[in-house]
Amino acid sequence: MNAAIEVEELAKKYGEVEAVRGIGFSVGAGEIFGFLGPNGAGKTTTIKILCTLLQPSSGRARLAGLDVATSPDAVRRRIGVIFQDPALDDRLTAEENLMLHAVAYRVPRAERAGRIADALRFVDLHDRGRDLTRTFSGGMKRRLEIARGLIHRPEILFLDEPTTGLDPQTRARTWEVLRALRRDFGTTLFLTTHYMDEAENCDRIAVIDHGKIVALDTPAALKQRVGKDLVTARSDDPAALARLLTEKYGITSTPVDGGLSFLVEGGDAFIVKLLTTDRPALGGISVRRPTLDDVFLSLTGRQIRDEGAEGQFARLRAIARRRG
Amino acid sequence: MLEVIYALWRRDMVKFLRDRRSLVTSLVRPFLWLLAFGFGLRAAVRLPGAGNVDYVSFLVPGLAAMTVLFSSMFAAISIVWEREFGFLKELLVAPIPRGAIVTAKLCAGSATATVEAGLMLALSPLAGARFSPLGAIAALPLLALFGMSINALGIVVAARMKSFEGFGSVVNFVIQPIFFLSGALYQFDTAPRALRAVVLVNPMSYVVDAVRGLLIGRHSFPIVLDVAVALVAALAFGTFAVRAFNKMEV
Repeated sequence: MNAAIEVEELAKKYGEVEAVRGIGFSVGAGEIFGFLGPNGAGKTTTIKILCTLLQPSSGRARLAGLDVATSPDAVRRRIGVIFQDPALDDRLTAEENLMLHAVAYRVPRAERAGRIADALRFVDLHDRGRDLTRTFSGGMKRRLEIARGLIHRPEILFLDEPTTGLDPQTRARTWEVLRALRRDFGTTLFLTTHYMDEAENCDRIAVIDHGKIVALDTPAALKQRVGKDLVTARSDDPAALARLLTEKYGITSTPVDGGLSFLVEGGDAFIVKLLTTDRPALGGISVRRPTLDDVFLSLTGRQIRDEGAEGQFARLRAIARRRG
Repeated sequence: MLEVIYALWRRDMVKFLRDRRSLVTSLVRPFLWLLAFGFGLRAAVRLPGAGNVDYVSFLVPGLAAMTVLFSSMFAAISIVWEREFGFLKELLVAPIPRGAIVTAKLCAGSATATVEAGLMLALSPLAGARFSPLGAIAALPLLALFGMSINALGIVVAARMKSFEGFGSVVNFVIQPIFFLSGALYQFDTAPRALRAVVLVNPMSYVVDAVRGLLIGRHSFPIVLDVAVALVAALAFGTFAVRAFNKMEV
């Protein structure tokens, strides 16, 4: 596999603040590579350096073998960038935005109209080409940007938080488009995200925190590092159940609404064991595999975002860590 | 390369033509000046030398240059706008030389300003101004050149500004002295000596002088000198604009 992106000891300082602190990784051609981390971890800074908008303070980054600092123009010709915030001219129509892009990237004149029509069809906007983009919704703008990223058939497409702020259907649709892009054109995708479920779409993930890469692996392998599963049991007598778990298996549990939950290795097998022992009556039981949220927490000791649905598991994890 | 500059220039022109309201409002200012100063002061102002030129006709060249000054200076706010709303990033990651982006901006900012000044000249006879129509047509390229240098100055300011308000206040601070110290409202020859010294270092003075020469045949400097100064100013400010644009962070 040829390396599409090679990064060595890359660092960026803003005055005294080190946004990126000596990171290194390489991304293969045709790979979907994700940068996962909380806001302010250095994701956007890294992407800006890779797409030639920022000069690194030290270290090297090469795209398709070309150094971003010394041959920015050659790099720019090979990449496409989809920014976190829309970068469309909203007083132009969708087609005008794409045409300007086609000219800027020197798409042969004869191919322009066809590629624009194809790109609009690809993102389901072919009936809105003549409309001013200021009339578009957030999801449509994002899709138009993806269409624009395809016009010049970049070898490497950068996406900074590609689905932030989009509704679930649009997010799912965006990912269909991105996977089709790799399948049809062999495009390398480099994306940043702070959504765990989005990171699951990547072939490999670099977990970044405070400007450093703390882990780099496939989503499955990262989750395997966490090991334990989350079991949630419903019971009319959670206190008795908790006692049983502590005394017989040495497991610490946390009360939840209508029952309790706990962490255990091999959750499936444990459930079977639990069901066949003498125990208080159960109203229901479920097992959940660790998510990337749990991975992030176990790597950094912090949650990637404010507590939401994952809060329960996170609290348990924190307790488990404290107890060793 | 030329095609990219043309495409970027065309983008700004398309947006200018779609926004009819700003075209109309841009004509209000010079006409207010013409009415207030031209008619209000016509009786009071006696231009020494030639008695056959009334003050309204004398003012028109200066007000045409003023139209270009305001319009092309404020056109540079598009840089602040595009940085704020993200489009600038799209341009900066594209394989387009920075100089080409600035050149397209200068051409567009100057073209829109020249269109506005041309309209103002075409309409000013309605307010009683008398001047040579051929001279007015000949003045347009010079006004366009002036528009480029002022737009470049605007880009130098815009590249350093993070907000619209910041841009507005700095530009107003710059624009007023350029206008009032240019001879747009009075004759250079009869101005006090100290004022003349300031007028001499203001590039706009030479543009006003040449346009007045072409329109009503009165000028204080050789037209060749006027054109040379306008050219040097456009080149110098254009260079500053490219440099400022290069340094800008998004």
